[in-house]
Amino acid sequence: MTGEILIGVLVLLPVAAGLLGLIPMGVPARRALLIPVSLVLAAASVWLTVTAAASGPLTVTLPAQWESVLTVLDFLLLAYFIHAGLGARHSLVVLLSLAAAAGLAVLKFAWLGGHVSVEPAFHVDMLSGLMCLVISIVGSLIVLYALDYMPRHEAHLHLDKSRQPQFFLYLVGFLGVMNGLVFADSLLWLYFFWELTTLCCFQLIRHDLTDEAKQNALRALWMNLLGAVALVTGTGLAYQLVGSVSLQELIGAGTAAPALLPALALLCFTGFTKAAQVPFQSWLLGAMVAPTPVSALLHSSTMVKAGVYLVLRLAPAYAGTTLSVMVALFGGLVFVVTSILAVSQPVSKRVLAYSTVANLGLIICCAGINTDLAMAAALALIVFHAVSKGALFMAVGMAEQQIGSRDIEDMEGLGFRTPLLASAMVVGMFSMLFLPFGVAFSKWAAIEAAGTEGGWFIAVTAFLAVGSAATLVFWAKWIGRLTTQVKGEAREEKPFFAYAGTIGLVGTAVGLSILIAPLMQWLILPAQAGMGYGRPFDLTGWNLFTAVGSFTPWALFIAVGLAVLLPALLVKGPAGTETAPAYLCGVNVDGDRRFRSVADSPVPLAVGGTYWTTLFGEQKLTPVFNWAALVCLGALFVGVIV
Amino acid sequence: MTVTDVLVAVAALIAAPPAGGFLVGVDRKITARLQGRMGPPLTQPFYDFFKLLSKTRVVAARGNMVWAWSYLLLTMTAFTLFFLGQDLVVIFLILAFAGAALAYGAFSVRSPYSHFGAQRELIQMLSYEPILLLTAAAVALQTGKFTVSGVLTWDEPLLPALPLAFAALLIALGIKMRKSPFDIAASEHAHQELVRGVYTEYSGRYLALIHLAHWYELVLILAFVALFWAQPLWIGALAALAVFLLELFIDNLAARLRWSWMVAVCWGLGIGFILLNMVLLQWLA
Repeated sequence: MTGEILIGVLVLLPVAAGLLGLIPMGVPARRALLIPVSLVLAAASVWLTVTAAASGPLTVTLPAQWESVLTVLDFLLLAYFIHAGLGARHSLVVLLSLAAAAGLAVLKFAWLGGHVSVEPAFHVDMLSGLMCLVISIVGSLIVLYALDYMPRHEAHLHLDKSRQPQFFLYLVGFLGVMNGLVFADSLLWLYFFWELTTLCCFQLIRHDLTDEAKQNALRALWMNLLGAVALVTGTGLAYQLVGSVSLQELIGAGTAAPALLPALALLCFTGFTKAAQVPFQSWLLGAMVAPTPVSALLHSSTMVKAGVYLVLRLAPAYAGTTLSVMVALFGGLVFVVTSILAVSQPVSKRVLAYSTVANLGLIICCAGINTDLAMAAALALIVFHAVSKGALFMAVGMAEQQIGSRDIEDMEGLGFRTPLLASAMVVGMFSMLFLPFGVAFSKWAAIEAAGTEGGWFIAVTAFLAVGSAATLVFWAKWIGRLTTQVKGEAREEKPFFAYAGTIGLVGTAVGLSILIAPLMQWLILPAQAGMGYGRPFDLTGWNLFTAVGSFTPWALFIAVGLAVLLPALLVKGPAGTETAPAYLCGVNVDGDRRFRSVADSPVPLAVGGTYWTTLFGEQKLTPVFNWAALVCLGALFVGVIV
Repeated sequence: MTVTDVLVAVAALIAAPPAGGFLVGVDRKITARLQGRMGPPLTQPFYDFFKLLSKTRVVAARGNMVWAWSYLLLTMTAFTLFFLGQDLVVIFLILAFAGAALAYGAFSVRSPYSHFGAQRELIQMLSYEPILLLTAAAVALQTGKFTVSGVLTWDEPLLPALPLAFAALLIALGIKMRKSPFDIAASEHAHQELVRGVYTEYSGRYLALIHLAHWYELVLILAFVALFWAQPLWIGALAALAVFLLELFIDNLAARLRWSWMVAVCWGLGIGFILLNMVLLQWLA
């Protein structure tokens, strides 16, 4: 009973709070409304996960009349999309909405018609619990951050009438929708929440109502609708083959029925579109026009996770099949190509967006590798990526408000201009990049899982190795720009919630990385046990020993921590007489600001980043990579059908 | 991990600087002879090291000093992990952190030449890092273990099974040793456009720390090479020495080439070799 109430709270409370927020109110009132809601959500998610851990999966079967409500809402939503498409004269949106509506009509009235559903609408196991924790806790922090961010954003735009009520409706309501999505067991309910996330996404991207924002919102809409059409088709196909629309039954029937693979492939494809995998990455990159970085953040640490969630949820059903191999190859390909694309990006938010697509690709790749170790890597990456990337988006948003630019070139010496923020950013980037932090741990686990498999997984290992190296480059040169020593005084404005959220998340990333063994023990391994996977780790002494390798987190943290922190704390800076100006290949004029060059005239010093666009340029590589991904997707479907 | 493992690691930590310095001395002697010069005595790297340590402290930025220390300590961490028989992928990822630390030190000074070198250092890592990681994967495909201790228990030498992966590793070794045709970041042969690349702003005792770290790194990579003939280990040591000498000859025969060429060689030839080796290994098994 508690379980049902908690599920209700987690799904309905955010939506209700968002609707209540439509009443015009000042900033203090909105804070008074949303802060308690965030706290309740976070607490409820923990409680629900603990309940699911203690007493097994919870299932909720709703009364039959809910089915009718659901049908009405489904078609209303599609009608709205058609309306939006017609309004913008975007035929693709209209066509895809009509296709989805037609598919849904066939499914609901012709095939399921009169059929009284006895299937549970919701099934909450530890995987749902893990997702719910990420959504509710990271998501709530985003909401708190937005409370500080949005008034500044609007002050900057000089709006006549505040559009914050709509913004917070979609932002907060989205959390409930996401929770519903990960709780859903019936594919019909999943579809409903899926379309609602598309709606939130659409509205949040076009929030600023500039031409670019509207255009990008439409692009996101049609790409996500394509996914929705695949979802409806896949659901219909699965219903014809299994006679049920329950995810659990689908997974249970999976490995025994190869005929089911096309349906699973369609559902995976739906996941790829939501997770903005190549060739659909452009909608996520376009989403960066949204109010920086609030909704962007939503698109990064929580919403796009819906896509990888679906692929992961179905993983046991396609374990050991061609589909699994193809999913691994596709995910690996996306990981490597988007990491390479990020190398040439000078705009911070685009780097973050590409890195997001890359990490989602890595999670999908792990789902395809489909071993116990790979699954642990995927689930760990969901948690660590959400936390670290969340922190980085928040930090970049704050940096933008402080220096008025989102360009990495303009962030030179941020470590000396806004020291607290820049420190949080650098630690956040370390946590995305280096061992012994959690994201790198997942890369380690993925490489070791793929490396010992052989066959096609040899290619997957190569993708992972090259992708990891490219990741290193784009983060490392950004960190290099932040840490360059510049003259001038530090000036930093520190809004409380935004800073607390950022630093809190960075701290969480570090803390969870140190406590990775307990995290495995209490959350990730139970979640994968619930999916039918075994334990890949021997956790003796809070180390992670596998059959093929070993990872010793706390020992590594002590060693690396000493190596980095001791010098940082103990080394004293040079005294006045010990300071030398930089070498400029000419006589320095006024310290190292200028140097004497041709004809003895002083030339000002400038230092810039390198983006290697001749080799890694986006214009040049994107078409090639899109085609490569399309071929891979084509091979996936052909392979599955054959 | 036993007491013996710890003793081995401690012994290696103590023995590596003399060994690495000696190897650099051999390098300078042989290179000089190949160029028709007498060359400095074998102990010259140690004289240089102590001379640098005794210099007056003159630096451009505090970050430079901090990261020089971090570079050394992180390299020593990776080194220790190797001789404790730990996981190869972990070792290479920590080594990547060390390499990045060297670049951060160069980035911390607002100096065009050191920035130039630092960016190129990152491009070098982009080139060799996949080779190191994939070689570890190739080793694991053959032995079923990613750990050094696991590989050491494998009965047969790895080289006959992994000749192409070994060849690819030579490319990575050439970059790590900062040798032509890959010497693009540090300008060991004083290429004019670079000044001293990533090392430009390091000086005095901080440059000494970097030399020390480089010695550790050299011994670590050569130890990884030796792992390819670990039964008996002395053959592996000889193989590592032979490879080291081979790199010196290549260095003196080749001109330094462009960074894009280096990336192409590493990703095309290097990764291609390892993949081919892994596929053949599977196919023949």
